[in-house]
Amino acid sequence: MNTLKLVSKNLLRRKGRFIFTLLGITIGMAAFVALLSLSGSMQSEIRKQAAMLGANLIITPKNWCAYDQISILTGESLPESLQYEVLEKVASVDGVTAIPYLTQKTAIQNSPVLVTGMHPQETLEFKEWEIAEGSFFSAQDERAVVLGSSIANSFNLQVGDTLTIRGAQFPVIAILQATGGNDDIAVYLPLAVVQEIYEVGNYISFIAAKVDDLAQMESYEAAILDVANVAVTSDKQLLSTVLSMLGTVNMTLQLIAGVALIAAAFGIINTMMAAIYERRREIGILRAIGAKRGSIFRIFLLESGVYGLLGGLLGVVLGFVTSLIAAPLISGGDMSVLLKGATPQASLDATIVLTAIAFSLVISVAAGMYPAWKAAKLTPVEAISYE
Amino acid sequence: MNRAIIKTENLEKIYGKSAVKTHALKGVDMEIPAGSLSCIIGTSGHGKSTLLHMIGGLDKPTSGSVLIDGVAISELTDSQLSELRAQKIGFVFQFFNLLQNLTALENIQAAMLFGSVPQAQQRAKALELLELVGLSDKADAKPTELSGGQQQRVSIARALANDPEILLMDEPTGNLDSESEEEVLSQIFKIHKAGKTIVIVTHNRELAEKAEMIFEIQDGKIKT
Ligand SMILES: Nc1ncnc2c1ncn2[C@@H]1O[C@H](COP(=O)(O)OP(=O)(O)OP(=O)(O)O)[C@@H](O)[C@H]1O
Ligand SMILES: [Mg+2]
Repeated sequence: MNTLKLVSKNLLRRKGRFIFTLLGITIGMAAFVALLSLSGSMQSEIRKQAAMLGANLIITPKNWCAYDQISILTGESLPESLQYEVLEKVASVDGVTAIPYLTQKTAIQNSPVLVTGMHPQETLEFKEWEIAEGSFFSAQDERAVVLGSSIANSFNLQVGDTLTIRGAQFPVIAILQATGGNDDIAVYLPLAVVQEIYEVGNYISFIAAKVDDLAQMESYEAAILDVANVAVTSDKQLLSTVLSMLGTVNMTLQLIAGVALIAAAFGIINTMMAAIYERRREIGILRAIGAKRGSIFRIFLLESGVYGLLGGLLGVVLGFVTSLIAAPLISGGDMSVLLKGATPQASLDATIVLTAIAFSLVISVAAGMYPAWKAAKLTPVEAISYE
Repeated sequence: MNRAIIKTENLEKIYGKSAVKTHALKGVDMEIPAGSLSCIIGTSGHGKSTLLHMIGGLDKPTSGSVLIDGVAISELTDSQLSELRAQKIGFVFQFFNLLQNLTALENIQAAMLFGSVPQAQQRAKALELLELVGLSDKADAKPTELSGGQQQRVSIARALANDPEILLMDEPTGNLDSESEEEVLSQIFKIHKAGKTIVIVTHNRELAEKAEMIFEIQDGKIKT
């Protein structure tokens, strides 16, 4: 006989109660782990997209908020908002290479798809795209489309097929090699063609720019602000803005998971208090046969600790499975695009597992303190003469 | 007479804090020699269990003292007192002696957890004790699967788990039929022969007659 054996026998005597109490902490932990794992994969996805952008500076209208900036990373369409001449002004700054983006929406087989208007040759070089099939645009105003690889795959489109955008027909002339980023989920046309079919005049959505000397970033920014009335954001600022917004969302979600965990902790307290009430006489017997206060305290604390350990382990598994299932299901939100490419496997690392289990243990041991103390406080006779 | 292994000096116990006070013990002086079989008898509600609890270190007296082997147990810390209960004293209650979710064997082993029997020897020693009380075949039975007499015999075996010098029993046959009572009594005599000091609260005539010392408690005092 050892203490652990005694503890396990005690826990399993009321199997229903054991299971329900365990479920409480398991679900709380699962929510917590799912959130950590999802937000971990969202963050890594955002970083990946930011790296994919291939730009050092993003030039947008002054009135854009951080929310609009997320869309640059997520590949959502953005309003036409800059005059084309702004591009010429920005490009005129020494050491700056600038390309325009005009992003609009269309539908293929009733699914929304991003249409991007750009300068074919410059963008090809800027992005260092590879052509998987067909041949790229040969003129600045060629009425044809080039597809990102995911678009070609999901809609089963090939070079030679025809795409209808805003009632006009366009032949597919090329398919890009997969980049792993949002470039894969867009349809590309020359800027002038998009401007014409969407009737947006001589406007573009935003400008992406590269600089020759990364060390001089600030002076480039100043130079651009000198020539044009725009907002300039570096890719790093953009990344940190988006990450901090995501952080706020995560905080809220973690707060909810925290509440679930606190409820679970009270579940443990409740179960342990009930156990002490029922087992009062047994505590008396244990004391009579020589158990010290410390031993009684330890037995009860271990019982709640087991809830923590098992709940933590099961919670990690359940939470991970949930995040695997949930990631593709969460749709419609602005973060959803980030999740589509995300792989929760990657973010369920040892740190999350260990943090979660340690956290669960700490919570349940803390919850077990008071009941264990109550149990240890009983004198042998108090415990035995209890009716 | 052997040395007094148990001694009480002007032992008093008052239950309750304010309005309802019960003066359960009103100055008990007794000496119990080592290796003796003693009985505490008396009418219900006159303080027999209270006295036995005090001797066993399960409760603290209001005043006066209990000396076990010359040591005043009121001077001991809770942890030292627990140690004393684990090593020196075996206790058998009137009812509800066993841990319900453990088997007979495990109940005995549980007592060893707090004593000094090395874990490797616990099982063999516990089986030996079960044999002593004639219950080898019930090692894996839960208390609910045992008769009242069998449960009390397991309790006696458990009280002996750490080989204590003193065995205290509160009406061990109080709620048993005569056949079970016989079983239990024969175990008690056997243990007494082995040299333990035994103090029993009892109403049983036969047992009282065999005792070397009889203490009759009346209204919280020893009747002389
Ligand atoms: N925990 C307690 N709190 C308050 N009063 C108690 C407590 N235990 C016993 N008493 C009171 O102390 C007195 C002595 O009780 P005790 O249990 O010692 O009697 P007893 O001689 O063992 O009786 P019985 O033969 O019925 O077991 C009784 O009046 C009882 O009501
Ligand atoms: Mg009594």
